[in-house]
Parts: sequence; C-alpha cells; structure tokens
Amino acid sequence: MRKLALLGVAAALYAGAAWSVAPGFYDGFGPPAPYNFTCPPPQAGANQKPSSGHADIPVTGGVSEAFSAFTDDGQIVIGFLPGAFLAGGKTTITVDITPLDTCPQPSGIRFVTNAYKITASAALNADKRANLTLRYSNLEPDPASVYQATDPNGTWTEKSSQPGAPFTIVTTTTTFGYFAAGYASSSPPPGAVTIGGGQLLPIIVAVLVVVVVLAGLPLAVMRRRRS
Amino acid sequence: MIAAVQARPALRAALVASLVLVLEWSRALGAAQPGFTVVALLLGGIALAAVAIGWPADRLGLGRSRLGLRLIGGCALGAVLLLPAAVRSGTAPLLPAGLAMAAIAVSIGEELAFRGALYAALEDAGGAPLAVLGTTLLWTLAHALSHPPEFLPAVAAAGLLLALWRWACRDLVAPIVGHAIADLAL
Repeated sequence: MRKLALLGVAAALYAGAAWSVAPGFYDGFGPPAPYNFTCPPPQAGANQKPSSGHADIPVTGGVSEAFSAFTDDGQIVIGFLPGAFLAGGKTTITVDITPLDTCPQPSGIRFVTNAYKITASAALNADKRANLTLRYSNLEPDPASVYQATDPNGTWTEKSSQPGAPFTIVTTTTTFGYFAAGYASSSPPPGAVTIGGGQLLPIIVAVLVVVVVLAGLPLAVMRRRRS
Repeated sequence: MIAAVQARPALRAALVASLVLVLEWSRALGAAQPGFTVVALLLGGIALAAVAIGWPADRLGLGRSRLGLRLIGGCALGAVLLLPAAVRSGTAPLLPAGLAMAAIAVSIGEELAFRGALYAALEDAGGAPLAVLGTTLLWTLAHALSHPPEFLPAVAAAGLLLALWRWACRDLVAPIVGHAIADLAL
C-alpha cells in the first residue's frame, strides 16, 4: 500500500512538473526549446516574444567572409558562403533579422512559423546562394515549404525546401525579404495526424486507460483468486 | 581488474554512472548535428542498451513472469507520462519511420542503462533508496544537454516515477513499454 501511495505521489509530481512546461512532456523528439510565437496557438501556454538578430560580416580583400546570422532564440539561421555578397567596396556588411509583429495570413497558405524580415546592407551574389533554416514548433503541423515575399501583405512565393534537423526546414535564397514556413491550406498539412479530427494524443491516452482497466482488472482478480 | 571492480560495489556503481552519462551526452551532442540525428539516436540507444550486458535478467527487472501485468503497467505509465501533453494539446506530429525506430531504440537503451544496470549497481552499493534517488539524479543530469533548464523538473519527476516503479514492482518491462509509448507519441 505504501508503495502504491509513493507511486501515486510520483505520478502527481510528474503531472505538475510536466504541466508547467509546454507541450507538457519530459522527453520525446520535440524541438529542444519551446518555440517563441508572435501569435501563439492556444495550447502554447507561457510564450515569449521571438527574438531578432544582427550580424556584422567582415569583408576581406573585397570578398565577404563565410558567416551565419541568426536570431537570439535560434528560430531562424541564414548562412553565407565566402563571397556571398556583392560587397562593392564595403569593409563590413550588416545583416538584420526581425520577426514581424503581425502574422500574415495569405490566401491559400497556412503559416506555422513566425514571419521574419531579413535585410542586409549589400545584395547577395546570385551564384552563392544563402542557406536559410527555419525552426518550427511541435505544437503545429509540419510545414511543407518556406515561403518568401517582398511585402508581407503581398504575394508569397513557395521556395524549394527540404526537412533539416528535426523540426527544421531548409531552403536557399539569393534575395532578401520576408520569410515564413507553412503549407498550402487547400491540402492537409504534411505529416498531420487526421484520425479523430487530429486529436491523437487524447485518443492514445484514452486507449491506454481502457487497456489498463479492461485487461488489468481481470488479471488482478485472477491473481487474487489464485493467491 | 574486473574482479577488483566487481568486489567494490561503490566503484562499480561510479563506473556504470560515468559510462551512462558519457554515452547519453554523446548521443545528445551527436543527435544535434544536422543529418546525423537518426544515426546518433540509434547508435546511442544501442550503446546504452549494451551497458546492461553481463547483468542477470532478474537483476535488471526483466523476466516473463507476470508479463501481462507488466505490459499493462507499461500502458499505465505511458498514459501518465502523456496525460499532461494530451490535456494541453490534442495534436501530435507523426514521427517519420526512421525517427520512430530511433525513439524505440533510445527508450529501450535508456531504460536498460538507467533503471536496469545503473539501478542494480546503485542498489548493490547502497540499497533501494540510493538506487531510486541516484538514478533519478543521473537521469536528470543526462538530459541537461538535450533539454532546456525549464524542462528538467519534468525530466526529474519522470525519472523518479519510473525508478519508483522499478523499486515497487521489481520490474523494468513496464518502464520500457511506457517510455517507448510516450516517446513514440511525441
């Protein structure tokens, strides 16, 4: 009985501790840090504002150095090869990444990340594409593509994209502007769980509880009779 | 050398603890490298499972007696581990096949290493209280590289729950099943 009580206390402790951090779990293969949303979904819980980023890229002998610019929360990283910029006599090139304060909702696209504005003091060399990595949350469906726009309220163009490390999506670009990751809202989100209207976790837990009750009770009764 | 280590339970527990920590941290660092995630998780899971080699099955909490109850216990643990996330968020991404395999490998490896070999070594060195608290502490430390600090209380609480089950039921099957279910679901 004492053991059962201790297990109950430990389960309650875990529930309290896990509840205090979104998504409410101790392990798994979610992103290493909670996503900082501009427009958090209801299930996000406590949310911090997304960070901006800045980089000063040295130019040596007229060639910009290999460099990465990223936001402080690491939600977007853009990597540049040597000579990626048309330096034009500059000794330093500045790159700024700013999360938008609003969440664009272009027709036909559902964004699952924040939208970011990337600017630089020099244009990119079209022969040296920059690598752009966007992290996304496990509270949203996986994005299918990164989208780019010159105006957040204008047309967003789908870019050729591929999955990177877990919960990241990668693309390349030769121009700056606005970037966000999402999927075409006319199709189901890639990798989305659609059984039970998308409510997979409660269904899993319910099934586990039913298994425990339906199979556990007869087993316990049988053991009691035997003993 | 091996005989000397086996004759000193405290030394053996310290060696097992160090090995498990190094393996878990290596796995976490490797898994963070783009393109190496699945391989690092699979190799890490296998390496962690290998820590249990040489231990008798009953010392690890493994066995086929009361297997039905053990499996049901695993379902119960899985439900407890998933409940807060299920209440907070109904949606769950589907793990890609490679990552799902890796999740299973890591779940089995971590349980064999922490609640299996490390638990048995610490129990030999200082009894059940040391085994429960020691595995919980090392389990939490092992996740310090892969989880942000605010997640560590939940990691510790999960470790305590699984270790208490191991102690109360002298069983590792349920923690393996519960851990695997939880990792596969999220």
